[in-house]
Amino acid sequence: MSNKHFDDRDHEIQQLLRQALSRRRFLTSSALAAGGLALGGNLLASCGGKEGGSSGAGGGGAGGAVRISNWPLYIDPKTVPDFEKATGIKVEYNEDVNDNSEFFAKIDEPLKRNQSIDRDIVVLTDWMAGRLIVLGYAAALDDSKFPNKANLVDNLRDVSFDPGRKYSVPWVSGMAGLGYNPKKTGRELTSIEDIFDPKFKGQVTMLTEMRDSLGLVMLALGRDPAKATQADAKAACERIKKARESGQIRKFTGNDYAEDLAAGNIAIAFAWSGDIQGLSADNPDLKWLAPKEGAMLYSDNMLIPKTSDRQDQALAFMNYVYEPAHSAQIIKEAPYISPVKGTGEELAKIAPELASSPLVNPPEELRARLHVFKALTDAEDTEFNRLFQDAIGA
Amino acid sequence: MAGTGAASARQYRLAPYLLIAPGILWLLVFFVVPLVALAQTSVASSGEPWWDGYVRALGTYGTHFLRSFRYALIATVLSLLLGYPLAYVIAFRAGRLKNLLLGLVILPFFTTFLVRTFAWKTILSDGGPAVWLLQQVHLLSEGGRLLDTTLAVIGGLTYNFLPFMILPIYVSLEKIDRRLVEAAQDLYSTPLGAFRRVVMPLSLPGVFAGSLLTFIPASGDFINAELLGSPNQQMIGTVIQNQFLEVRDYPLAAALSFVLMAIITVGVMAYTKVLGTEDLG
Repeated sequence: MSNKHFDDRDHEIQQLLRQALSRRRFLTSSALAAGGLALGGNLLASCGGKEGGSSGAGGGGAGGAVRISNWPLYIDPKTVPDFEKATGIKVEYNEDVNDNSEFFAKIDEPLKRNQSIDRDIVVLTDWMAGRLIVLGYAAALDDSKFPNKANLVDNLRDVSFDPGRKYSVPWVSGMAGLGYNPKKTGRELTSIEDIFDPKFKGQVTMLTEMRDSLGLVMLALGRDPAKATQADAKAACERIKKARESGQIRKFTGNDYAEDLAAGNIAIAFAWSGDIQGLSADNPDLKWLAPKEGAMLYSDNMLIPKTSDRQDQALAFMNYVYEPAHSAQIIKEAPYISPVKGTGEELAKIAPELASSPLVNPPEELRARLHVFKALTDAEDTEFNRLFQDAIGA
Repeated sequence: MAGTGAASARQYRLAPYLLIAPGILWLLVFFVVPLVALAQTSVASSGEPWWDGYVRALGTYGTHFLRSFRYALIATVLSLLLGYPLAYVIAFRAGRLKNLLLGLVILPFFTTFLVRTFAWKTILSDGGPAVWLLQQVHLLSEGGRLLDTTLAVIGGLTYNFLPFMILPIYVSLEKIDRRLVEAAQDLYSTPLGAFRRVVMPLSLPGVFAGSLLTFIPASGDFINAELLGSPNQQMIGTVIQNQFLEVRDYPLAAALSFVLMAIITVGVMAYTKVLGTEDLG
């Protein structure tokens, strides 16, 4: 009975997706999207049987561990055991997000069929979080069980992909710039152009995350990623393709650039700002740089998959990490920008030297150089992706 | 009496069908059905003519196909060169060590493919022992590298598929009647002549099976190219994986899979014609 409904719903959602991924049009269509989602939700609840019904009660997974998917190098070793001790809720913490698209491919089919993905919190970058929300894959957050949500910093409260933060809250914000090994480069770096220096042929990597790699190369070309046109994308992709074909670029990676950088296989990588400290145990020499042309700014967001039957536990975890002292504990080991108010003061108590670090608290001069990639329409997304996949030889 | 005879004769006639039924059913459910679904996907480009996926598959990824077959061919030849002497020694000369040596050939399978390939990544890394050694003997220039090169990908393929070459060759060598070799020598054949005229022809079915078992999976492999290669060594398997999982262009990915299957099927048929051994059937 449900097949046809699913197909209709798929079609509807595809349409909504197309409209909604354009930031400009988002507000007008979001009301429509909410309507569509409510309808989708009802359909699913009536078809889904067991899995659909249990979420509201929150007792479905009572006693069950909260299962989290996050990126590597994104947490300290104390938070999980401390949370378990404080709440009695067990945590199954997986560092299995290496790349947004790759992770989406794994969860798309089961979520489309309203099946469990055995995860209660997933952490995804803004644009991908937006896609999950539009597709109706994310559960609305019950604010009554998440009082610390009030600690969310003001500038991230009303983002275009989730107005009012109904479905998502940031884990941390980060910057994409240059990670490098001064021992291998033999000099300090300043510019994105350094990654194209023939001296480092075969010793550099870029990210498969299109918005980061494309954004940085656009900045190098003096183009603005916030207003990226097809011509900009083409120019940046040509630059990348040339460097790939000449053997300048050794690989395109997800978070796995970290191991190559630490192992000394590469000298320079497009890298995320807070990862380097996590690698210092393997290689204390590594450095991260916001190049003079600028760096890319993004947030990674926690979402609860709609099929999670442990939403209360998930909310308890979110509430825990939104306590400033707890957020500071995470930032101490993963020096990214915390979205939680008051974290700076708490961090000053436990790691004073880090509290003033530009990675954690970018100074005005750096903030001016941070860029957010344009919210692409569906057509742009497809076209940019096609160009980018061709450029990276995938 | 006559009745039971007829019944048993009928049972006898039915026996082969009953014996192959589970296998046929298995293949039907897990091979034919997915294949049909894949075929449907490959022609389902929305808003484009049905052949769109195939045109793009051949138009855009020709170099990837050629590269895959080139790598797989080189890996197969290397496996043969390494594997045949090894299988020969195990079959004819190993004596009491035979089982131990066979066990050692199979031993790598106790860890997964992925972990073994990751191990290669460590061994070949720029600061690793292999690079250091080759630089000491000046086979590799200062600043040269092994990881993320064609050499590493072909090396990985050869390493990972070598046992699939050794085992069939071993089996066909093992079952050769030693008296045939003795007879050749009695008839004043040199050891080399006996090998060339007796052992080698009799072992061809093993070579045939081994080269297919090596070549086919190697040409569709993506792990080695992904982990040990750079973007300039990407094989068709990497492209298919990427199209399915990252770009999510299912028609293109399915079309690529079919083109790969078609080329391999034609290739294998041609190969059978040339080296074709009725023994194998």
